[in-house]
Amino acid sequence: MATSTDSDDRNLVQRIDAWLNEDVSPRRALGAYLVLGLYFSFLLLPVIYMVIVTFTTQEFLFSPELVPSPSDFTLRNYEIVLSRGDFRTYFVNSMIVATSTTLLVLTVGVLAGYSMSRFDYPGRNGLLYAFLSTQMLPIVLILIPFYLLMFSLNLVDSLLGLVIAHSVIGIPLGTWLLKGYIDDIPESLDEAAKMDGCSHLSILRRVIVPLSMPGIAVAGFYTFILSWNDYLLVSVLSQTAMTRTLPFGLQLFQAQNTVAWNLLLTAAVITMAPVILLFAVAQRWVVEGLASGGLKGS
Amino acid sequence: MATQTESRFSRYKEEFSSFLTETWIGYAFAIPATVLLAVIIGYPTLRGIYLAFFEASLLNPGQMEFVGLQNFAALAGDPVFKEALWHSVLLTGLVVSLQYLLGLGLALALREKVPGAGVFRSLSMVTWVMPVIVMVIIFQFMMQNGFGPVNIILDSLGMRTTYWFGEPGVAFPLIVVMHVWRNIPFYAIALLAAMNSIPEEQYEAARLDGAGPLERFRYITLPQISYVSMIMIVLHVTFTFKNFDVVYLSTGGGPLGNTEVLATYVYKQAFEQYALGYGASIGVVMLILMLAFTVVYVKLEETD
Repeated sequence: MATSTDSDDRNLVQRIDAWLNEDVSPRRALGAYLVLGLYFSFLLLPVIYMVIVTFTTQEFLFSPELVPSPSDFTLRNYEIVLSRGDFRTYFVNSMIVATSTTLLVLTVGVLAGYSMSRFDYPGRNGLLYAFLSTQMLPIVLILIPFYLLMFSLNLVDSLLGLVIAHSVIGIPLGTWLLKGYIDDIPESLDEAAKMDGCSHLSILRRVIVPLSMPGIAVAGFYTFILSWNDYLLVSVLSQTAMTRTLPFGLQLFQAQNTVAWNLLLTAAVITMAPVILLFAVAQRWVVEGLASGGLKGS
Repeated sequence: MATQTESRFSRYKEEFSSFLTETWIGYAFAIPATVLLAVIIGYPTLRGIYLAFFEASLLNPGQMEFVGLQNFAALAGDPVFKEALWHSVLLTGLVVSLQYLLGLGLALALREKVPGAGVFRSLSMVTWVMPVIVMVIIFQFMMQNGFGPVNIILDSLGMRTTYWFGEPGVAFPLIVVMHVWRNIPFYAIALLAAMNSIPEEQYEAARLDGAGPLERFRYITLPQISYVSMIMIVLHVTFTFKNFDVVYLSTGGGPLGNTEVLATYVYKQAFEQYALGYGASIGVVMLILMLAFTVVYVKLEETD
């Protein structure tokens, strides 16, 4: 423990040292910090402020004060929000829908990505572009017939309906991302596996899936937040509290004319917490992957 | 001789049969994703286009009356549609250019690698991963009348306070700000990755030739990030143009239709006015504009 802290410290010292020794003028560094400071205030202060406010009393919220004092601190908002049964139901629904969606997209996405990366068949490129072009479609155009279709399949107001809806939005990008990653795996590896008598399914399981893990992490992360954050499809497909997910369920705290700001903000923080945590865990792959892999495309 | 022909023939046969099985296996792996997309996106898209030529109500979707191009003719005389179209185009233009410029600025600042830049790079992604509804709640809270932080500050400066999302002339810029706020980090990360792949030697060489920072940016950085830039811009033109939830959740198109965009207008026609056919015809117009944009982009790409 102590050693790791030591080495961290040394790292920081070394880093600052190395940075000072580069021919970076203090003026330039100051400029960089000034710019980063401006971005920080614009991008992150509102989020930080919201999180702080959720730990304060209602009296503070409705006072003309900007900065809370320690005496305003309370956990009451979290107690109230988390003790609500309907809010907990929404949370569980969100978890079920986002997790199932991710698993479904990854399964069909890996299969399709493998197919488009390794097999050469008539219509492959057409299929690839057809997948990608679905990203161009305005969802609102699809929404009307989509609702009617789900209605006739008896999938309105069911979690399965939400999973299918979210999967279909996630599949094109998931497939495209995974194809890109699988393209980077040397084909000689699956040739060798084939020589050893592996079938395509076991090549997938033993070679492709383990080696494209970073890509799977990115596609999985992307699909999860897409499903977790969705409002539009849930608002159309979900009609009772039994199938509502968190983003739609936040309306709970917006009554007719008044808004219980302290509870609404607290519920909002709880709603975004899982995706932020997931991002913190997966960011190593996500940041690089979305930046390079996601754009690599064809 | 005979055996040779035979063996060659059997090799062809083998290759042909392996081509057959390989092809079918390839199709088989792509089928689950393709079928899902075809049923749940392909069919509704065609159906949506088909609906645009009918008069149909959400209350009784079975009963449809063919009206030809009447819905489109009605659009041409619909002032709300024209407003929404103008807002969509204006919003897309403003949002994408601001996002690009500010994202580029952030990428350049992060590139300085000052201590703490890495942490900020990760932290800034928070705005990109959070649900749109949470973003909207944050902004509405800040802009709310009375005790919103923005109004507390404005009040202490002796300026006017109000619920800013309900203020014509302010609501639209606020929608632009929310789009930009959300996407700056994504642009910054993508552009930063492109910048980091530029070999350092090129900058060294330029420096030796006496090129200043602005010249190095203009002649080395900019050309080498142009590909990623184009992709980011094209993607976000389509994302912004078809975006629904930012506007719908924050202002619902108000005040007085000041922020109405095509996507919210489709939704309102179909799910609030129950005019399925009319709503679908607006969706078709969006699709046509999107296709036109793509075609122009591909043509420009080819001529480059």
